[in-house]
Order: sequence, then C-alpha cells, then structure tokens
Amino acid sequence: MRENVTLSRRARAVLASEWIKISSLRSLRVTGLGALLFGVALAFLVCAGYHARWHALGVARQAAFQPVDTNLGFLQIAPLLFGVLGALVVTSEYGTGQIRGTFAATPQRPLVLAAKAVLVGGLGLVLSLVTVAGAFLVGQAQLAGAAPHASLGTPGAAGAVLGGALYLTLTALSGLLVGVLVRSTAVAVSTLAGVFLVLPVLVDSLPKGVVWRHTVPYLPSDLGLSLWHSRVDLLVRPLPAGLLFAGYVLVLGAAGLALLRVRDA
Amino acid sequence: MSARRVATRWRATARSEWIKLWSVRSVPAVLEAALVVVVVGGFVLGAGYRSGWASLSPADQASFDPTFTSLRGVELAQLFVGALGVLAVTGEYATGLIRTTLAATPQRAQLFAVKALVLGAVVWALCTAAAFAAFALGQSQFTGPAPHASLGGPGVLRAVAGGGLFLTGVALLGLALGALTRSTPLGLAAFFGVLLVLPLVVGLLPSGVGDRIGPYLPGEAGSQLWHVRPPSPESLGPWQGAGLFALYVAAAGAAALVLLRRRDV
Amino acid sequence: MIEAHGLTKRYGATTAVEGLDFRVEPGRVTGFLGPNGAGKSTTMRMILGLDLPTSGSVLVNGRRYQGLVWPLHEVGALLDARAVHPGRSAYRHLHSLAAANGIPRGRVDAVLEQVGLAGVAHRRVGGFSLGMSQRLGIAAALLGDPGVLLFDEPVNGLDPDGILWIRTLMRTLAAEGRTVLVSSHLMSEMALTADHLLVLGEGRLLADLPLDELIARGAADRVEVRAAEPERLAAELRELGAEVTREPDGLLRVVGVGAVTIGELAAARGHVLHQLRDANSSLEEAYFRLTEGSVVYRAPVPA
Repeated sequence: MRENVTLSRRARAVLASEWIKISSLRSLRVTGLGALLFGVALAFLVCAGYHARWHALGVARQAAFQPVDTNLGFLQIAPLLFGVLGALVVTSEYGTGQIRGTFAATPQRPLVLAAKAVLVGGLGLVLSLVTVAGAFLVGQAQLAGAAPHASLGTPGAAGAVLGGALYLTLTALSGLLVGVLVRSTAVAVSTLAGVFLVLPVLVDSLPKGVVWRHTVPYLPSDLGLSLWHSRVDLLVRPLPAGLLFAGYVLVLGAAGLALLRVRDA
Repeated sequence: MSARRVATRWRATARSEWIKLWSVRSVPAVLEAALVVVVVGGFVLGAGYRSGWASLSPADQASFDPTFTSLRGVELAQLFVGALGVLAVTGEYATGLIRTTLAATPQRAQLFAVKALVLGAVVWALCTAAAFAAFALGQSQFTGPAPHASLGGPGVLRAVAGGGLFLTGVALLGLALGALTRSTPLGLAAFFGVLLVLPLVVGLLPSGVGDRIGPYLPGEAGSQLWHVRPPSPESLGPWQGAGLFALYVAAAGAAALVLLRRRDV
Repeated sequence: MIEAHGLTKRYGATTAVEGLDFRVEPGRVTGFLGPNGAGKSTTMRMILGLDLPTSGSVLVNGRRYQGLVWPLHEVGALLDARAVHPGRSAYRHLHSLAAANGIPRGRVDAVLEQVGLAGVAHRRVGGFSLGMSQRLGIAAALLGDPGVLLFDEPVNGLDPDGILWIRTLMRTLAAEGRTVLVSSHLMSEMALTADHLLVLGEGRLLADLPLDELIARGAADRVEVRAAEPERLAAELRELGAEVTREPDGLLRVVGVGAVTIGELAAARGHVLHQLRDANSSLEEAYFRLTEGSVVYRAPVPA
C-alpha cells in the first residue's frame, strides 16, 4: 500500500520533527536564556549606572542623553548571541553527523531548511520581543527618579522596541543561513562576531566621505542600528533598512538552498 | 632526567604538534584568512581615508595616525587567530584524539607547553610579516595631503612589530581558554566574551566607570602594543599594556595547566 | 607486564572499580571480560595514565605510565577507533604519533602495510569505514613495536576475514613474548583467542584464571539423552532436582545431573537408552553464571 504523502502533510511532519529537535537541545536553551538574561542584565546595569552617576555627568551630557538609546545599547552585542542561536540549529547537526539522519528521514532538503527557518524566525521573534521589551521596562524603571526616562507610550519608544526585536530576529535567521553555508559552529560564530561586533567598530572611525556614505550604512550592523536608534542622520531610514536586511537574508537563503542541494550531507 | 633527554623529548613532541597543525585543512585556511584580513584591512581603510580626506574636519586631519590606520586589520584578525588557538585544543577533545596524544606524551605540562610554543611561533612569524606588509601597503595609500609614516618614526616600528606580538598573545589566550573549557562552543564563547563582548559592555557603562575599567581589560591592554598613540588619557602605555596582557594570558595558561594535570581525560 | 595493586576509581558517589589486584603476564593473551559498566574501559584508561586512580596503583613494566621514557615504544593501545581528526590522512595521523616518540618514519609505512591500509594511506580518515578506522587504530598501537598491547573491542566492525586476521595477530604477538590484554564482548572470539581471563563485575574482580579452568568451573553438568520412554525418564530426573528440557524430536537436555548418575538411574529403573552424551559447555555459559548478579545494564530477553 503506497500512501501518497502530500506536501502539506510532509511539511507538518518536518516541522514537528524540527520542533522536537530544537526544544530538546540543551545548548539552544542555554544560549537563548543567556541572550535574554544578558540583554536584560546589561540594560539594568547601564541604566542603574546612569541613575547613580547622573549628577556627575555634566550639563552637556545630560542634555544630550537619550533614555531609549542608552537603554537599548545592548543591541550592539546581542546580535552575536541571537546569530549563534540560529547557527546552532544547523551546525550542531553537522557537528554530530545528525544531519544525515535528518536528510534520510526527509530527502526534500529545501523543506528541512524552510522548517528550520520558520522555527528560528518564530522563536527568534518571541524571544527577541521578550528580551527587548523586558530590557526596556527594567532599564526605564532604573532611570526613573534621576534621569529622563520613557514609557512604551512615549512617541518612538514602541517603535524602537519593535525595531530592535526585528533586528534580533533577522540576525537569528542570518545565523541559521551562515550555519548552513559554513557547516561549522566555530566558523559561523567567528563570522557573526566579525560582521556584527568588529566591523562596525572598524568602519566607524573612517572619514565620512562619499565612499563611506554609500557603503557603510548598508552593512548589516548599520541597517540594524537604523531599526532602533534615534540618531539616524547618516543611516538608512528604518523601513528601507528593514526591507534591505530582509533582502540580505533572502540572498543568504538562496545561496544556502543551492549549496544544500549539491553537497553531500 | 638529563637535560639532553628532556630536549629530545621536547623536540619529539614539537615535531608531532607541527605535523598535526599542518595536516588539517582548516588551520592553513584560518591562518590565511587572518593574514589576508590584516593586510587587506589596512589597505582598504587606507584607501577609505585617502578618498575621504577632504571631508575630514581639520581636527580629525591633525589627529590622523597613518600607522594605526594601516594596522587596523589586526582588530579583525584577532578573531580568527584566537579561534585557531581554541580549536587547537578543543578539536582534540571533541574527537577523543586527546587520549591518544596523552598516551604518546603523558607529561601533560610538556604537551601543553609545546602546543603553545609551536602555535605561538607559527602565528608570530606569519602575523608579524603580515603586519609589516599591511604597514607598507597602507602607507602607499597615503600620498598627497594625508600624512604617511615611515618605520623610523617614533613608536612606528614598535607598533608594527607589536601587531604580530599582540596576535600571538591572542592565539595563546585562545589556547589557554580552550584547555580550560575543553569544549569548542564554551571555549569560543569564553574567548569572544573576554576579548569582544567585555569591552563593548564596559563601553556602554556611564563614562566614569567605563573609562576607569576599560584600559585594564585584556583586549584593551594588549592592543596598546600596536597603537602608536594611546587612544585615551587613561590608557596604559604600550609596555605596561603588553605586560598586563601577558599576565592575563599567563594566568589563564597556569590555570589550564593545573586543571590539565589534575583532571581525567 | 601490567600489575595492579588495590586499584580503585570513584567518581563522587559512584565506584567504577574497587580494589583491583591483578597481573597481566607476557607471552599469553589475557581477556578482559565483564558486563557493560563493569569498569573495563576505566581500568584501561588508568593503565595509560589518562584517568587518575582514587587510590591504589597500576604499573606497566614496573613503572607508572608517566615514568615511561617513550611510552609508545613500550605500550600500544587501541581504545577508540573513532578518536581521530576526520580531516587528517591516515599517514599524517600515524606520522604525528610516531614523531611524538621518536619513532622513525619507516615504521608508519610498515604498520600501514601490516594492517592492509597502505592503499588508502593518504586519504582523509573521515571517509573511512568502521573497519578501516579499527585497523588504523591497530596500526597506531603497533607503531612503536611495543611489548605491551591493550585492545578495547578490537574486532568491532571487522569482517570475518578481519576477525581471523586480528585473532591471529594477537596470538602471534603473545607468542613473541609480548603482553596482550584484550577487552571484548564477543564470547566466541574470546574463547578462541584468550589464554587467561580477568572477569570484572560491578567494579570488582570476579575471576582471574586460565580459560579452561573458568569454563570447567562455571560449567554445569549438561547431558543429552535419548531414551525409549522419554516422559518417564524426564519425570524421574526432575525428582532428582535436574532441569529437563524436551526437544520436539525426543531429545532430552538434562542440566544439573551428571552422565554417570543418569546412566545408573536408567539401569536401576529399567530404561533403554539410545544416547547418553556430555554436551560441551561454553565460555558464554560460564561467564553468565559468574556475572549473573552484577549486570548493570540488562535488557529483557524477548519472549
């Protein structure tokens, strides 16, 4: 008796299988929890620090102080953790050889990648919303009483929180696809660290000439900055930035699909 | 055990580690990436400054440091070199090869020391050469209005040679962290955490606190080796920074050694 | 020669091995037997100085492993065939080991030839089959031409040719006067290869004696009987306390009563016997009898 397995049936099966795998991988839980705690703790620390030393800051700095930007400063580092999260979903399978079992169960490799992407995107969105919103609330509570502070109702605040969450979600997806391309945890982590942590520091110091203005704002880290930072004079507008970043992810996805098809497991 | 016997044993272990280092594809690949990044990074940044020179403010033009700019690839290369150091140890634990290695060389301190010496020598030789190449290439970009440096200038030779030294120290730090954690993801996490995340976190703290802690972080201290001028008044001088960095690396190495001798494999 | 004195290893509250005292002598193949979790691998790791004993000691050729000058010249071990970097070639893997102990390069070619991997010497180990990895591990053990050899599950993954080859290799090595310690689960192989046995159970040494003795000791009386009146004979034998199983073709398998006793009973009760034979007892039986109480991981036998 040959059952005809429809695409939707297979897709649901793959999704279920990937969900079980993701929810049972301890390294993912640890990294995810770590990312959440890191974001909230760092926001707390920074804002508490500003609360404590507000008077020592000096008039100029006090005037220039941006409560939301300061609070969400951890978004310059968190992309590394979220990217690693995405990468681990794939590189852990390559590392242990589990990937062969996965492709044996589901020879339609694009479907497997799609299922992983759906889960990383969905879980990433939930985790990033909780992290950024949580960090925001904790941080603003710390600032209150001494420094200017904001609430979610303040114009621009909710947008920054959502933008930040979107940024982290997109980096998680980027991490997944980088993982597919390089297949090794070490290389994926190094690449993500290089792109999101080191590159921005390097290019920031360059003179902002014509060449700079046409290249640097389109780097992933700078696009991400546009999504949540208030000072966007040299950067791309938030909406185009988000679309462009999503475009990068799609390009990575296409490359990943192509390679998956051709390579051995 | 006579000195000659000891020397023979160390030489044998060194030969073994040398063969192991060059017999896997990933090592030359990562080293190549690091070298390319050092050389190309300096070139690209140099070109960026040359093309954007006119748009720099007079103050920025006055404070421009051509040596520093040409060496900035080192900042990116430290990721690769450190990851290499971590993997040099954790790779053996991951496959279980460490047992065979220790069966051949049961003197664990000797093995660890030789691993460090071989990796350190290779990284030092290659990265120093790359630093000099980056310097030369970078300076070739600075014709015309932008000032360029020569090796005879104050602190220049020290900075360029310091680039190679710094990267060597980073590789050894990675090695020590790899030996301490014995797992690739943990070792990489520790390495990136210490070298990358820590300075960024400290940078987010309100100015007084951050400025005071910052210069004493391992990455910051060690970087003074390849900076011509200290970036801020609180920075350590090049030799103090190097000394502190070496202390960090030595401490990590000593801790790794103690644990290596006491633990089961 | 390997000597253990009061060798004990505890991990927190769990005791892996307790008070092991044994000697593995040269010139014969010593088999290391025991259920999973009995402590065989732990003991082998302690011999190689990889795990540190909680108390007691183990000496190789009269010295601690760390005290050996060029360990691979004296001890060769196959612990885990997969413990190789997949990106390395077989040749380079062996070469790096040889260099570590001053073993000349020629030995690498020699052992590769000896185990039959000369043709794939420069191929990535990651592409090897289990059997090939196993043979590479054996090659590594033989590199230094050592006098002491430790093999942990050496026939794992080998085809019948390979199994015969390793059995012959081990017996040859022992005949050359070397000390050979083999740990295996394959009873049939062990019975053909080992001269002497060390049986571990729950971390303790249960037996330390020659193979024949163990089989003889653990063997129960097993007799095969064919009789004219099998039912009556079976009932009478059961009264004596024997276990009697009746095969469909009329054969009676009797356990617990000797052939002599059965013959005399038959004569006394007027039975006609067509067959009265001692059945061979096996190492497997002896082993099960010995370790019955100390199996750590047991799966139920399907009904």
